[in-house]
Amino acid sequence: MDKLKNHVKELLESGEIAGFLGLIDDGGHPVPYLFTKEHLDRLDAMVVPDFRYPMTDILLRIVRKYPEETIGVMVRGCDDRALVELAKNQRIFPELVRPVGIACTKEMAEACRCSQPYPREIHYGEKVEGVNDRSDLAAVESKPLDERLDYWMGQFSKCIKCYGCRNICSMCFCDQCTLEDETLIMTGQSPPEIPIFHLIRAFHMAGRCIDCGLCEEACPAHIPLRSLYRKVREDMADYFGYVTGMDESEKDPLEFLGSEGYEVPSKIDET
Amino acid sequence: MADAEKGFEPKIIAFCCNWCSYAGADLAGSMRLKYPPNVLPIRVMCSGRISPHFILKAFQKGADGVLVTGCHYGDCHYIKGNYITKRRVTVMKDLLKFVGIDPRRLKSEWIAGSEGDKFARVATEFTEEIRALGPSPLRG
Repeated sequence: MDKLKNHVKELLESGEIAGFLGLIDDGGHPVPYLFTKEHLDRLDAMVVPDFRYPMTDILLRIVRKYPEETIGVMVRGCDDRALVELAKNQRIFPELVRPVGIACTKEMAEACRCSQPYPREIHYGEKVEGVNDRSDLAAVESKPLDERLDYWMGQFSKCIKCYGCRNICSMCFCDQCTLEDETLIMTGQSPPEIPIFHLIRAFHMAGRCIDCGLCEEACPAHIPLRSLYRKVREDMADYFGYVTGMDESEKDPLEFLGSEGYEVPSKIDET
Repeated sequence: MADAEKGFEPKIIAFCCNWCSYAGADLAGSMRLKYPPNVLPIRVMCSGRISPHFILKAFQKGADGVLVTGCHYGDCHYIKGNYITKRRVTVMKDLLKFVGIDPRRLKSEWIAGSEGDKFARVATEFTEEIRALGPSPLRG
């Protein structure tokens, strides 16, 4: 921990970064905080708790306000994948963001069923292997079609349309949201139209979702949203060999045509 | 149930691109080819314009089937629209299947402006396929 604090301190003191977005202990509650050179003493209260905040989401707000400053940010594996995607989508300049990597513990990795619980560069914690668990998908796929629909409609009908899943999502950075577009979806009423409300978001997550699972944690109705997004994520990997959050130079095969050219991968060309 | 199925007329939304498949549908008409009135064409400028959200909206509003048509590969007026469409439709089918909607209710076909007969044939075959599948479970 001291090593981490010193690293951040050095970055701030040398002027390499103008601010560092981390978490601070505020009366026993870890909350996001922007550490600056002027208040280096605050670094003493910096903490790395065993739960998560949507750090990149907060980072985007800071970046919008200070577009020319270099900002440091505490990232876990999921946040780091988000940074890659944000750079791809031109939401941040990667050269103006200095990630400080935290490797998650084994317990956290298992609780999150995280496939990659470590960032590209680790400054704190020990790297542990990821968990590859698709039991949630297999459980749905073992049902016949009509039971699946009953299951999902039952889940979706619990929705109170709080937009929690969208608001916490690191990948939901659009200025205009389809979920509020009255030509596509009924707006101004709750509960939402199902299943379209959830499926629009699910499809939007194809080639986008970094599988952090914050949506499911945020959902007050406990809708297993993550399974939906994991499904499309798996599809993108199966059909196009595209995994989000890995390589900044790779393009989303649904939005761009990729570096391979125009061909549709032979795997999907059966019509 | 049996009676309801006998009287079941599928409602099918066909998205047709302006340059090829809509012209194909037009030609089918000019050639006096018969195809089921269940197929309701909607003209879009390119199959790449067909947002996956349109497909979802069609199903939400009670369509029993959705037909996505565009130019053959290499013929797209905008060069690459239909390649993207194909990719999107493939992922969409998988998503529909995952939530329990039969993926056969969504179909993509490439129909050129000169293929009026193909449009009529595809429309007829797809209507029969949907008729066999029965009403969409989302039809309220």
